[in-house]
Amino acid sequence: MQMPEREDGANSEINILKRRLILSWIFATVIILLMFYERIFGAMLNEKLMTVLFLVLSFPIVFIFGLDTIKSGIKGLVTLYFNMDSLIALGTLTAYITGFFSLFFEIQDYSSVSAMIMAFFITGRYIESVARGKASQEMRKLLELGAKNARVVRNNKEIEIPIEELKVGDIFIVKPGEKISTDGKVVKGISFVDESMISGESMPIEKKVNSLVIGATLNQDGVLYVKATKIGSDTFLAHVISLVEEAQGSKIPIQKAADRVTSVFVPVIIALAVLTFSNWLYFSKDISISIAAAVAVLVIACPCALGLATPTALMVGSGMGAQRGILIRKGEAIQTMKNIKIIAFDKTGTITKGVPEVTDIYSEVVESKLLQIAASLEKFSEHPVAKAIVKRAGNIDYLSASDFKVFRGRGVKGKIRGSEVVIGNRLFMKENKISTVKIEGILNGYESEGKTTMIVALAKKIMGVIAIADTLKEDSIEIIKKLNDMKYKVVMISGDNETTANAIAKKVGITQVVANVLPEEKSKKIEELQRIGMTAYVGDGINDAPAIKQANVGIAIGTGSDIAIESGDIVLVNGSLTGVLKAINLSKATFGKIKQNLFLAFIYNACAIPLAAFGFFHPAIAEAAMALSSVSVVANANLLRRAKI
Amino acid sequence: MKKVKINISGIHCASCATNVERSIKQLKGIKSVSVSVMTNKAIIECEDSLANEDLKNAISKGGYNVKGLEVV
Repeated sequence: MQMPEREDGANSEINILKRRLILSWIFATVIILLMFYERIFGAMLNEKLMTVLFLVLSFPIVFIFGLDTIKSGIKGLVTLYFNMDSLIALGTLTAYITGFFSLFFEIQDYSSVSAMIMAFFITGRYIESVARGKASQEMRKLLELGAKNARVVRNNKEIEIPIEELKVGDIFIVKPGEKISTDGKVVKGISFVDESMISGESMPIEKKVNSLVIGATLNQDGVLYVKATKIGSDTFLAHVISLVEEAQGSKIPIQKAADRVTSVFVPVIIALAVLTFSNWLYFSKDISISIAAAVAVLVIACPCALGLATPTALMVGSGMGAQRGILIRKGEAIQTMKNIKIIAFDKTGTITKGVPEVTDIYSEVVESKLLQIAASLEKFSEHPVAKAIVKRAGNIDYLSASDFKVFRGRGVKGKIRGSEVVIGNRLFMKENKISTVKIEGILNGYESEGKTTMIVALAKKIMGVIAIADTLKEDSIEIIKKLNDMKYKVVMISGDNETTANAIAKKVGITQVVANVLPEEKSKKIEELQRIGMTAYVGDGINDAPAIKQANVGIAIGTGSDIAIESGDIVLVNGSLTGVLKAINLSKATFGKIKQNLFLAFIYNACAIPLAAFGFFHPAIAEAAMALSSVSVVANANLLRRAKI
Repeated sequence: MKKVKINISGIHCASCATNVERSIKQLKGIKSVSVSVMTNKAIIECEDSLANEDLKNAISKGGYNVKGLEVV
């Protein structure tokens, strides 16, 4: 990856600026002392000599430490690609030249002012660079997250190799407390892994054979043997980084207005400076005062504050999101979010876990006996319902079963200790001539709650009923309640029948349900909702990608590395719904900060430029004000971290 | 349509970013361009027929240096 290099670049830029800053102020201090001496004790030398001294002392500040600025500024003026430096270059050069003229004509020497302007400018840029570095600290942490080494076995010896040498298919070993080297699948061992740095999920997650692990997450207590499945730029972390980076470079609509201003800002200011000069000259007939006012206008104007307002806040906001498992893919979503009125949720896998679980058991025998018999047979089946039953049975001694057979859409059949066991729905019981009359009430009760029922019969006699349903995620109820309280219209869209969908909706507190929606129809339903108001859609991003695309803000939710990271305006790495609320809060806070920053920058320029034109500011003070304004915009963006997300 | 990411040096202020955007936009076949002063990167969507060299030249013509180019 090329990023660490950029970070060095930023650091070296800061170091260069720091050196220039210190050297500039050494010379500037001498200039200031000379000026004071002159004020207090009168001319120590003759005036011409004094001017020569100022010219000499200012030279290194303007033309050595400020050379980059002067060069880039003049280049901008010549090629008509104006930039911030153009204003500073014009201002300092004009001021400096007055020094020469003052040797021959009746004109005030402003050469020392040129030195002060440049010294303040360098100072401002230094502080701004530091603040900008701080704005990208979360991003930097993300970049440094990847493991540097991998532990592998070569020639029967455990050795550490640089991560670059690891290949797909290699098996690497992760000891307790170590970072997982890259994305892979566990082939041996069991351990808890802390994935908080990627997903924001604070609870460690158990990993055993066949579990997928994500590179850069932290292994906790056991030793894991992992087969590398993805390396380098294919890893989950690399995708996250490139995605966040892209979002940080993307444009937010509100920024376009600011950009339009910045693009014409410099020429307009130059024109204003000329106007200021000619007006002052016309009314005051004093060329020195006119020059001072014009220079003040040049250096007080700050296109940078305008231009930095949005990207700095976006940088801080998206970095904060990345740390919490909220990936903002499109900067635009931040602005759109505040207009969202409707939040539509997909049901399966979003509000619910998407994995069926046993919810109720009705048993005519001891419950564990029922589960033992059911699980002993169901363990041969791959069906999710079967898996749910086996999972619920837990660590039991399986009875030996024979003649296992699956009847699609009906159930399973087999023999345990010579007796026939039938597990399945009503239809299956009827086909096997087993009467369900006795348990009809129980079946109807479960089914009205949207649950799937599995009847267990042993030797033609009903033993009990196991009810299975997709269960809610732990935080679904709480988050839906909060969203309702926030006055969002919450809608659930589901492919299930109305009974099942309504049962879940009722439990979670959603009043508006759209059931029986085929996956391909979901985007149409979103379109209908959009006629009522701006709609956000939360789904898994795999089979409902069109709906996510159709929504004003599409939020893709997933768990760990399974996530469809390329879909959605916002991607939630951690599967819980809390992320939705956090994403809303983060978007609002970030956009609020952007507005605040733009307001600051506009107001600053709108007030400062006229004041400078009317001659209220000494040029050096004007430059200090300019530096302060751009620094305060970046500093304000950093304050976004205080927002409660 | 292709997407190109270009790493640029010399962007130290917001006007610089808009300058780079302006010079890229003058090329034929540009769909969208976004240059960030924070990441020092340009993200460009353009026609496949537009040569990467032309993109590079447009940037350096404006006085900025291309440090790396990546087609996504």
